[in-house]
Amino acid sequence: MSVIDILTRVDSICKKYDKYDVEKQRETNVSGDDAFARLYGAVEADIEAALQKAESASNEKNRASVVALNAEIRRTKARLLEEVPKLQRLAIKKVKGLSTEELVARNDLVLALPDRIQAIPDGTAAAPKQSGGWGASASRTEIKFDSDGRFDDEYFQQTEESSQFRQEYEMRKMKQASHISQDQGLDMISEGLDTLKNMAHDMNEEVDRQVPLMDEIDTKVDRATADLKNTNVRLKHTVTQLRSSRNFCIDIVLLCIILGIAAYLYNVPYIHSLSQYSFSGFRL
Amino acid sequence: MASSDPHKLMVKADKLTKLSLTRWSADWKSATQLYEQAANGFRVAKNIEQAKIAFEKASQGQEMLSSPWDAAKHMESAAALAKELHNWREVADFYRKASELYNECGRSQPASDALAKAARALEDAVPEDAIQLYTDACIMLEEDDKEQMAFDLYRAATNVYIKLEKYADAATFLLRWGLAADKCNATNSQCKAYLSAIIVYLYANDFKQAEKCYNDCSQVDAFLRSDQNRCATKLISAYTEGDVEEIKRVAQSSTISNLDHVIIKLARKLPTGDVSALKKANAVQDEEPLDENDLT
Repeated sequence: MSVIDILTRVDSICKKYDKYDVEKQRETNVSGDDAFARLYGAVEADIEAALQKAESASNEKNRASVVALNAEIRRTKARLLEEVPKLQRLAIKKVKGLSTEELVARNDLVLALPDRIQAIPDGTAAAPKQSGGWGASASRTEIKFDSDGRFDDEYFQQTEESSQFRQEYEMRKMKQASHISQDQGLDMISEGLDTLKNMAHDMNEEVDRQVPLMDEIDTKVDRATADLKNTNVRLKHTVTQLRSSRNFCIDIVLLCIILGIAAYLYNVPYIHSLSQYSFSGFRL
Repeated sequence: MASSDPHKLMVKADKLTKLSLTRWSADWKSATQLYEQAANGFRVAKNIEQAKIAFEKASQGQEMLSSPWDAAKHMESAAALAKELHNWREVADFYRKASELYNECGRSQPASDALAKAARALEDAVPEDAIQLYTDACIMLEEDDKEQMAFDLYRAATNVYIKLEKYADAATFLLRWGLAADKCNATNSQCKAYLSAIIVYLYANDFKQAEKCYNDCSQVDAFLRSDQNRCATKLISAYTEGDVEEIKRVAQSSTISNLDHVIIKLARKLPTGDVSALKKANAVQDEEPLDENDLT
């Protein structure tokens, strides 16, 4: 664990110093007091970082991390687009020591920025995965499969029986109005089932979370019991070594007798002196 | 115990640790013991400021005795006292220090717990710092493959973001939560995180982002097959149609009611902004793709 510690600390220290290095370079390249140049430099750095993220996103295998990276890229793009108007205002301002050509060049740079920002790939070029085309068809409401709309074949596997049931249901619904209450009952049941399903899923995840914790407890308790057993055995050995059990009882009994005698001897003169003092107290 | 006793213990302990001509090396062992006793005495006497200082010094002593676990525990006690004094900067510093010490012991769970406690304390006072602490705590757990434990932290951080009305950041964080859930195969949490992200984008009135987010998430198998995906589809199509009733109906559905309560509040307030304008814009756009399809 400490090796990993060292590695992470070294990484963070290097990163810190890298930051200082790049900043120094940028500052030497750019005239120090120019607010425009600073802001432009910062925007450039952000664009670079976003491009790098986009690259790593395209190389990622894990879809979920691609999603997360793309979201971050989009957020950065939105933020940069907000900075562009600020830059435009700064570009128009006259700065001392700046020629008119450079001013025009700056304006051009700022105008080119929004295009560059939009050009950063954030995964929106990729069309949504169309498994059986049901995702796209759901958003095009002009195409309808049946009277209810968005049900599709891949999500529910329809056997002949179930499609028959569906037809029966449609007929019944159209014929009898009294079946409305049945529908409502079924709706309530389905809501209850939804809640149950959700709770079951959460419980599943919670139990999954606790499995490694239980394993840890298991190993620790095993170690503790082994230690205890060891200690008990050694204690037994030591005790039996000193004395066998019969002799041990005799030992204890003799010890008690000695203590009793000692207590008696200790108390006798004390009792004597006590009685003397009490008598004197009575006389007085 | 009279309240002067802890003071005397502190003075004694300070004397033991200060180097001078007569003392060439500090006696940290006994000093640490005295500091601990003084700190407990101060805490009982409700002298919070002094107790905090005593805990700090005790922690330092334990560090010198190279027992980072005890040092971290003392740092946490000091931080808890600093919280009562509303000294937020110190709270953050102490908890960070405690977390580093826990990391030294190689125990990442207590380390991230310390950061989480700090974040919870700072949630109301300094929310930006709280978010930073939550993020660091999540990173710490993820490095140790303990993403399951990070779910609570993700949830709390998202709530803080939404309270600060930083919806884009909240949605990004939710997608990170989805990533962590994906790594430990917690598909239900993953799908709920993605659906929550879409809802946050819609609440922030950013339909384009919401659509992009939805497209991205549809590429994830687990989400594609889930209940939450159906709900998201219904929501997005209701938006494209500009059907306010449908949006409200979807928002009342049980799938959304299973999400976090902050997200449910946002969903119930949908639709924000002008949905019919969206419908017109989308109608114009939809014609073009249809033409392309006809040509091919």
